[in-house]
Amino acid sequence: MAKPRRKDDPSEKAMEYSKFYGGKVGFAPKVPVRSLNDFSIWYTPGVAAVSKAIQADPELSFEYTGRWNTVAIVTDGTRVLGLGNIGPEGAMPVMEGKALIYNYLGGVNAIPLPVRVGDEEELISFVKALEPSLGGVNLEDIESPKCFEVLERLRSEMSIPVWHDDQQGTAGVILAALFNALELTGRELKGTRIVFLGTGAANMAAEKLLKEAGADPKDITMVDSKGILHAEREDMDQLSLRNKWKYQVAIETNGDRRTGRLRDALAGADVLVAASAQGPDVVKRDDIMAMKGRAIAFFLANPVPEMLPPDAVAAGAEIVATGRSDYPNQVNNSLLFPAIFRGALDVRAKTITDRMVIDAAHELADFDKERKGISKTHILPTMVEWEVYVRVATAVGQSAIKEGQARKSLSRKEALHHAALMIRHARTTMGVLRRSGVIPGPPA
Amino acid sequence: MKIRHAAVDDVPAAADLIVRTKRLNNEFDPFFAVVSDVKPRAERYVKDSLGKSDRLLLVASVGPKIVGVVRAEIRERLFYEPSIEGFITDFYVLPEYRRKALGNQILQRASSELKGMGAQLIVAEVPSQNEIAVRFYTKLKFRSIVQHFGTSR
Repeated sequence: MAKPRRKDDPSEKAMEYSKFYGGKVGFAPKVPVRSLNDFSIWYTPGVAAVSKAIQADPELSFEYTGRWNTVAIVTDGTRVLGLGNIGPEGAMPVMEGKALIYNYLGGVNAIPLPVRVGDEEELISFVKALEPSLGGVNLEDIESPKCFEVLERLRSEMSIPVWHDDQQGTAGVILAALFNALELTGRELKGTRIVFLGTGAANMAAEKLLKEAGADPKDITMVDSKGILHAEREDMDQLSLRNKWKYQVAIETNGDRRTGRLRDALAGADVLVAASAQGPDVVKRDDIMAMKGRAIAFFLANPVPEMLPPDAVAAGAEIVATGRSDYPNQVNNSLLFPAIFRGALDVRAKTITDRMVIDAAHELADFDKERKGISKTHILPTMVEWEVYVRVATAVGQSAIKEGQARKSLSRKEALHHAALMIRHARTTMGVLRRSGVIPGPPA
Repeated sequence: MKIRHAAVDDVPAAADLIVRTKRLNNEFDPFFAVVSDVKPRAERYVKDSLGKSDRLLLVASVGPKIVGVVRAEIRERLFYEPSIEGFITDFYVLPEYRRKALGNQILQRASSELKGMGAQLIVAEVPSQNEIAVRFYTKLKFRSIVQHFGTSR
């Protein structure tokens, strides 16, 4: 018999509240309706003038409609959380949750949009067809390696930002955490030996981003369930056909040609980034002990990290991070994605380049350096510090302008002001809706 | 890169590359499912190709490392002219050494060796579904001259 859930169990609450509220986000008007006469402005006949102006210059759709602040959260439901391929309907609660975070932390109008598609081509054409309505696309929970192809194609074929949070979002936060961990242990990115355990979306994207940020791929070693990835591994031909991204990584990383298992990769390594399988004993004490002194270890599997932080510290790791909020140093996508889109949307960005993500990671890493300071158990700010989103959004927008990817130019000051306004507006709206009872309190 | 005739010492490395060609073929077509004892079979196959006047086994090396292999044999064409063909049965280059024209160099060397052994025509056999191999030979101006049709029904 299943154990009865406790009353404060989040699963229990999620079931109860979801039924009570019937969905987490909805549309609210942005314009006043003073009387029904106003519909002649907001709708026909007045609206035709706006439509004609946009027809003449489609770029005006970023100014005259809500497109500029609208993001679709698209998933095919093939790899949802740790639940696997649960289908688009099953994915909806997760996408709604994501939309709520976008709204509350980033002031972004996000539409949850799980879709039923046959193959990746269908997914790609669906997302492309959405472009006229959107300022950006957040791809979510799409299985690997399909997600690599989909992101790469959409990034090159669309003129609005396309973001796959499981790749770029996680990679960006990993990078931010790593910047500070390296600084605290007296290291530089160049010359640091980094081992990735797991070759899914997050680690593959992190490898790419680290390379862009200046790491030498020869100092990087990737390990998957078959062991160390190297150019002569027996499954290379298979990878060349089925996962060209992993194939490429196998060729360009692992400069000293290591073979074997995780421990062989970790011998003398500075950093371990594990995003692989549910812990707690995926990474063992001896693995960490094989690393260099002042080792850095991130265990990102959720909800159970590959190794529990106290065990990693006992084995000699100096800085340990996980995906969880109940241990120090949470590496959490939510620190980044609302700000990334806030910044990108504010300058009407055409894409989110890797450089923009790196600049965002630097800003995120620097945020607490200037405030409360960073330490071994505080390498990143937490989600409660809402100003961090304003700062990171501004960095992203400025980066987009520098990269030549912005439709609209804002000074740093203007960008800060606008991001703060948008994020504060979202929080104010929540306060007003709750106080007025439009959003009632949850059932007791 | 150096290309030379394989010696007994090269057998394990050459056999490993032969195994990879077989596994690659299986990626494209289930009629090329690889047997479980493929490794010892490949070693025997490679050994049997050494020191015979109608067999050719070349290995390509970069430093101490064997990165490519080609195996071929001289065959008589009973009913046709040209009547002697150099028949390439196996050809493999490690992934990271591909796209550097090494394959072409190895093939040129094999062709000239085979011609020295009497071949008037150079033929290579690959599974029709192996698009990597098909692309390789097509690019080097080979054309399909025989088709095998198979069914297990």
